[in-house]
Amino acid sequence: MIVTPKILGRLALIILVAVVLQVAFFSKITILGTSPNILPVIAVCLGLLGGAVVGAVCGFAMGFLLDSALLQTLGVSSLVLLAAGYLAGRYREGFDISNPLVPLALAGGLTLLSAGGFALVQLMLGVESPVSLMALRELFLQSVYGAVLMIPAYPLMRRVLRAALVEEPPRGRIPIPFRTA
Amino acid sequence: MYRKQVRRRRAVLVLLVIVSLVLLSSHFSEGSSGPLHGIQRGLATILGPIEEGADRALKPARDLVNWFDETFEARGRNDELEAEVQDLRERVTAADAATKENEQLRQQLDLGPGGGIAGREAVTGRVIGRSPTVWYSTVTIDVGSSSDVAVDDPVITGDGLVGRITDTTAGTAQVTLITDHRSAVSATVVPSGPTGVIKPELGDPDVLLLDFIENDRQVREGETVVTAGWTSGRLASVFPYGIPLGRVSEATAGEQETFDLVHVEPFADVRELDFVEVLTEPGGDGAQNGGSQ
Repeated sequence: MIVTPKILGRLALIILVAVVLQVAFFSKITILGTSPNILPVIAVCLGLLGGAVVGAVCGFAMGFLLDSALLQTLGVSSLVLLAAGYLAGRYREGFDISNPLVPLALAGGLTLLSAGGFALVQLMLGVESPVSLMALRELFLQSVYGAVLMIPAYPLMRRVLRAALVEEPPRGRIPIPFRTA
Repeated sequence: MYRKQVRRRRAVLVLLVIVSLVLLSSHFSEGSSGPLHGIQRGLATILGPIEEGADRALKPARDLVNWFDETFEARGRNDELEAEVQDLRERVTAADAATKENEQLRQQLDLGPGGGIAGREAVTGRVIGRSPTVWYSTVTIDVGSSSDVAVDDPVITGDGLVGRITDTTAGTAQVTLITDHRSAVSATVVPSGPTGVIKPELGDPDVLLLDFIENDRQVREGETVVTAGWTSGRLASVFPYGIPLGRVSEATAGEQETFDLVHVEPFADVRELDFVEVLTEPGGDGAQNGGSQ
């Protein structure tokens, strides 16, 4: 990804909109008793489109903004989301995304990882109460919702950041190597 | 060239992880008036109106999604509610008699009708943000210190207690829910009387655990649990007496004797919060009530 000031502005806007949407919309809807989490999905999208560095930096920024908006302990969400963005970026740098199901699987897996990671950090910070098995159900459902949310999120992010993507040829044009008389 | 890229990538990762860990440890170690908390409150103050605007704008879409979920859930709850109505009818009959007796006793003692939450002013707040974790730990509301909301003020809904205020900015406040792992509310079972501490079972917002401190009588299923509202010298519970918490849902004799606890189903559903009421102290300056709950 070529990060120009214009693209940087778009990335900042994506981060802000994602955090506001999460806090004011996704966290307040329940499907089968669980709320979806869009933030790991966006971190994965940015990692897949921009690489490990872009994914990690954007994940960190989203986490910082989320913890600030909710007056939570700073650093927890940043740590978890930067890991999701970085791992998605590393995947993109190491493998071809030839199968359209790969982004969905990555979103589901890394959403599970980030939700589990957040729970783990909280447990490490000291939890005296017993943990219900229902938490496992929530983690699983959040992972499924992550994969489903990736279906609209990935093409949308790709469209918004198309100008900065290195490999993507302009739509509707097939490059002609040479012309014969 | 490739090696340079790899080095840069690793350096960024290490730097970000270090910054996250430093933020985490500094946030814990500094007081609530520290610089990091100050920056956080500044950002929260800026983001508050944006969240509030988004919350209002997205309400129709949210209601639509929740309508589908609630309709699906309502089918399963029909039988359960019919049984509950039957149970409640019997309780209303018993409660009528108790109310008459209570009025007579109050007249004898010259007490007002306000009960335990007299002297508190209710400030209504809209939930504008919610923590996206599986722990159901905090929500953000659109009233803050400018509306006399202070740290440790109890937060209720029409159903019962939902939590307490743990941080404020001028226009927003953070509510730590009774389902958060830091929550512990002193409670008593009525009418049987044993007291204890209500704690959450993490990850399941439909279950609270009442851990007994004093239990010389058997608790039965269906009994109501309310805040105990104790005072001891200068220290006092942040929750006044009598705020409904939940109903005993599972109370086996074995569990009571062995583990000294019973399961409680909370009255308030922390997943469905839209509006809440903060019980503020008139003229309060935000001082903490001894840190006890």
